[in-house]
Amino acid sequence: MKFNLLVFQKVFRKIGSYVFNFFYDIGDVFFFFLLFIKNLLTDKFYPRLFFNQIVKIGFNSLPVVGLTAIFTGMVLALQSYTGFSRFSAESAIPNVVVLSITRELAPVLAGLMVAGRAGAAIAAEIGTMKVTEQIDALKTLSTNPFSYLVTPRVIAGIISLPFLVLIGDIIGVLGGYLICVNLLNFNPSVYLQNTYNFVEFIDIFSGLVKAAVFGFIITFIGCYFGFNTKGGAQGVGQSTTYSVVSSSILILLMNYIITSLFFKL
Amino acid sequence: MRKLKIEIKKLSKNFEKRFVLKDLDLNIYESESLSIIGESGSGKSVLARCITGLTEFEKGKILTDDSKDVMRMSSKSLNEHISKFGILFQNSALLDSLSVEENLKFTDKNINLSEILNEINLTKKILKKFPSEISVGDQKRVGLARAILKEPEILILDEPTTGLDPLISNQINILIKNIVEKKKITAVTITHDMTSVNEYGEKVAFLRSGKIEWYGDAKKIYDTKNKNLKNFIDGAL
Repeated sequence: MKFNLLVFQKVFRKIGSYVFNFFYDIGDVFFFFLLFIKNLLTDKFYPRLFFNQIVKIGFNSLPVVGLTAIFTGMVLALQSYTGFSRFSAESAIPNVVVLSITRELAPVLAGLMVAGRAGAAIAAEIGTMKVTEQIDALKTLSTNPFSYLVTPRVIAGIISLPFLVLIGDIIGVLGGYLICVNLLNFNPSVYLQNTYNFVEFIDIFSGLVKAAVFGFIITFIGCYFGFNTKGGAQGVGQSTTYSVVSSSILILLMNYIITSLFFKL
Repeated sequence: MRKLKIEIKKLSKNFEKRFVLKDLDLNIYESESLSIIGESGSGKSVLARCITGLTEFEKGKILTDDSKDVMRMSSKSLNEHISKFGILFQNSALLDSLSVEENLKFTDKNINLSEILNEINLTKKILKKFPSEISVGDQKRVGLARAILKEPEILILDEPTTGLDPLISNQINILIKNIVEKKKITAVTITHDMTSVNEYGEKVAFLRSGKIEWYGDAKKIYDTKNKNLKNFIDGAL
């Protein structure tokens, strides 16, 4: 009997500590967000660092996003053909490709790719700066580490991602076009005309809104875990992993929420 | 009588229920070169971080020369307090995404670097290099230069010779001695290297079990009857 009580106590204590830590972390992230807003509105902005981050997060991610988009467009065209040819609806392939790419695949895949590439790099860079006291050094040099490290990265993320997705949209549609025209014998001008006639402003706009939100999530989470890095190399590795996993999950969650919001419009 | 620069009263700091500093009292006077010595893990670096305001503490007071308590400062006053210090960090903490020149010109773009390079015995060749491309000894020199360039009120030197061979250690010690004597700056050195103490320490505080166990003139340290300090010195020498 006594043994059972002890086991129960242990289990409840464990559950209690998980629940407490969960809410503590949420509060901590919220406090970090408030600090970001405060520093964005009141402290110095570093344009040079901002443009550096545009290059790092946006421009340098172009190859990986472009490759993902073109292959996704190609696969989408092939798979749609397999399905649609069964009830002679092949002419709907351009419509499915453009709709899937602009509304869903380009923003989500670009988000996941950038989370793995730039988000991990942000967490690792800031984490290393934390454990090697470079962030403390910034403070002694009369520089607010938050304005110097976080603000330029997050703003660059919010601005870069929509541009990346817009380019991903074009490349993805091009992938579908290449397959349909060269492999499935579609008429090129009919394919393009179908795509152009079918796509609406809201399709592209909803994808770009998602991209901006994902850009914020990736950079903000990367900075948060970087700033909270403890220990040495192991701590940096842990922050990087947490950053990629958390931003990937949040991207998928926010994707559903934003899709639901636009679905009602 | 020298003016009191920092007054530490009953300072306590713990990490997850383990006390690192316990009811510690210490005074730091203007233009004084104080060496804080002690075994590894005795809390020397934590003490320096508390003084600078980079680490929060649980109990006690750290009063500045204008009688402000570091623990009760607003974030704006705390930032001003932190910027009064020039710190040579244990691993130099140079910003590794910037070149040596950019590190040195971080706070003032128009600064003339020739004089400072001369002072730390480095040539202009090093300016275009990144911290990862230079030796640990040179990183310490650049870190020291960055710390004194902003003309701080207090210079903190956290293990300035750790990780250096005896020859480079000696050069760094002489360099610090010259700077401290020339600039008449308040300097706090965290070290377990007795050569550093001999070279430029005026006062010495021996930290053990979270408290100052011995405090006095650097010249008198070898006459001490404190067993722990004697053991430390013998070990260090």
